[in-house]
Amino acid sequence: MIEAIRTQAHNLLENKEIDVVIGYGNGSDPTRTTPVFIRKPEEVNRLIFDPRCINSLPVYLNKRQGYPKKGWKRVGIIGKGCDIRAITQLIAENQLSRDEVYIFGVPCDGVVSHFSKWDGSLRDDNRATKCSECDVHIPNDCDFFPGERPEVDRSGPYKVSAPQVLNLFNLKTDKRFKFWEKEFERCFKCYACREVCPHCSCNICITDRTTPNWIDQAPHTKGVFGWHLTRALHLVGRCTGCGECTRACPVDIQVDLFNQRMKDVVQGSFGYKSGYSETEKPPLITYMTDDSENFIQ
Amino acid sequence: MKTATLNQTDIGKCLDLLLQSEFRVIAPQLRPRLESPDAIDVMMLTQIDSGENHAVGQGVLPLNGVKEFLFVKDEPLFAFENKGKKVLMTEVHHDYPKTVIFGVRPCDAASVSSQNAVFSKANAGFEDPFFTKRLENTTIVTYSCTNPDMSCFCTSVGLAPDSDRGSDLHLTEIPGNRLQVEPKTPAGEIVAKILEPLFQWPGEPQARTQAGKEAQDKITRIRNSHLIKGWLDELSNFDDELWERLGEKCIGCGACTFMCPTCHCFDIVDENRGGKGYRIKFWDSCQFDHFTLHASGHNPRDSQYKRYRNRFSCKFKIYLDKFDAQGCVGCGRCIRDCPVNLDITEYMKEVDLKASLPNALQRDPDFE
Ligand code: SF4
Ligand code: SF4
Ligand code: SF4
Ligand code: SF4
Repeated sequence: MIEAIRTQAHNLLENKEIDVVIGYGNGSDPTRTTPVFIRKPEEVNRLIFDPRCINSLPVYLNKRQGYPKKGWKRVGIIGKGCDIRAITQLIAENQLSRDEVYIFGVPCDGVVSHFSKWDGSLRDDNRATKCSECDVHIPNDCDFFPGERPEVDRSGPYKVSAPQVLNLFNLKTDKRFKFWEKEFERCFKCYACREVCPHCSCNICITDRTTPNWIDQAPHTKGVFGWHLTRALHLVGRCTGCGECTRACPVDIQVDLFNQRMKDVVQGSFGYKSGYSETEKPPLITYMTDDSENFIQ
Repeated sequence: MKTATLNQTDIGKCLDLLLQSEFRVIAPQLRPRLESPDAIDVMMLTQIDSGENHAVGQGVLPLNGVKEFLFVKDEPLFAFENKGKKVLMTEVHHDYPKTVIFGVRPCDAASVSSQNAVFSKANAGFEDPFFTKRLENTTIVTYSCTNPDMSCFCTSVGLAPDSDRGSDLHLTEIPGNRLQVEPKTPAGEIVAKILEPLFQWPGEPQARTQAGKEAQDKITRIRNSHLIKGWLDELSNFDDELWERLGEKCIGCGACTFMCPTCHCFDIVDENRGGKGYRIKFWDSCQFDHFTLHASGHNPRDSQYKRYRNRFSCKFKIYLDKFDAQGCVGCGRCIRDCPVNLDITEYMKEVDLKASLPNALQRDPDFE
């Protein structure tokens, strides 16, 4: 599979149809992979794909992360189904146009939830939650796919919620608050959850503004809650469930539980699934003049 | 100072004795695992109230270092209040409880002296009294490592799994499920006195040396670090190609700096509510895009790889030049916690390679 991708990447780089391939390469330890930027055709053999390839590479298509880098006119990117949903969402939000990217889709059975759990095989106890009910094992939109690509029906709801989302939601409000209070004690506001997110695309995040100081910057209870509630709300209907925020959190706070819950709400209230359409606008960043609610007038 | 041995099974009793002596006791604890395949087992240094549920000596190294107990992640410096045309400033009460941090790994213990070099008078006479007062009241009980993992590289920066730098009382596992106990400072002696009922004499320094050697042999990440400083001192290397090549994948998440036991940068803001509030100091990171942003809009570190260049230089040059202290203690946290596997030891490897090559080759643009 990767051979076909390497050959295609080689040809496109050689013909200057693309300027770079953002993909996965071997990491500095046997259990890890790392994002690589392949600019020369002769380097394509560095590209790999296996269940260790957990990163959501579309974060590098986010302007906040310096996209496009110098000399990048058209960017090749290796995408698992979920990554391609992130790209689709970036396009829907006008952060990217479809012809700037060339997507190499990869069939994917799932990735490992954390590098420390990789021992050579993917099983139920080390597969990332997002992969267990994934409906894009075969990606939905790509420019190149190694081999035959069967059509898959994706009309059903987009599921993928950790069992905890429901468990938490069934708790009484005060208990739920206690849970988060305890979890957030560890948060020191490094903002890894923000930086790793393909959809946190504001040039200056509201938490970084000090005049006025909308959200306390210090990592005390108020500052931490302020940050997380804002983050959760700003991603409503936009989060594509890549789980990177939770994976990146160095103190292991499952921040994407918020986003997963919001995903269910948006699907229930607006019938919207993020990352499935380049043209349909996420409900919370659009409005209708004939909205039945009158708050907009 | 006299050494002794202690049964490993008595660690819980040690913690209880310290609690009875009215110390605030901080020890590694395993956090109950969340019921999700995404969750990982997390061991953290935590304030404990009984010796029962400790994880002293287990696993590799706690997720957090001792940093947050000395250089607290957020603390008010003073309170202020607008009174007519004047501003009234008042001190904020801080507690500096007598504390024992028990089961600290040697790299973390060594990091305390690095932080102290920044926050004490030794740093050009500027003292952070919050830090120094806390340190004064803190005793560090170290615990030699037996199971370094693949990210540990303390031996590449002059430390070892059994090193006792920064330790007040040092414990090392020896055969027979026992620990060799070595008081290192007067503060360590005080703690040893409290634990004495559990000790056996004499100590076994030879078994301890042997145990240290065995752990050292398990370290697999080995780099040369002695040429790095000289290479960084060379001004032209500031614009070397390696910075961008290795650093372009960095997403500036700051996890490496927040987790690093020697990273010490902080920010200060006024939290003002209707004319009164606090001036607060809290952790900051050189990996943030606005860290060096000037009021004019100019940013001398205008791309992410330059920010990581700063981080690397801080560890292997600035710390030595400015604070005469060790910048990196080889704990490997920045490697474990980086979401994009940007690895400080890859920089060490490449810099060492460049520094050991003859100049002519280094200047060859085709050299890779
Ligand atoms: S990554 Fe974790 S510690 Fe950092 S700001 Fe997010 S929740 Fe807090
Ligand atoms: S799961 Fe987290 S990182 Fe991924 S899109 Fe949603 S909020 Fe962003
Ligand atoms: S730079 Fe990395 S390895 Fe060195 S002390 Fe900091 S976190 Fe540990
Ligand atoms: S090196 Fe890694 S952990 Fe550090 S800021 Fe960059 S991406 Fe984050």
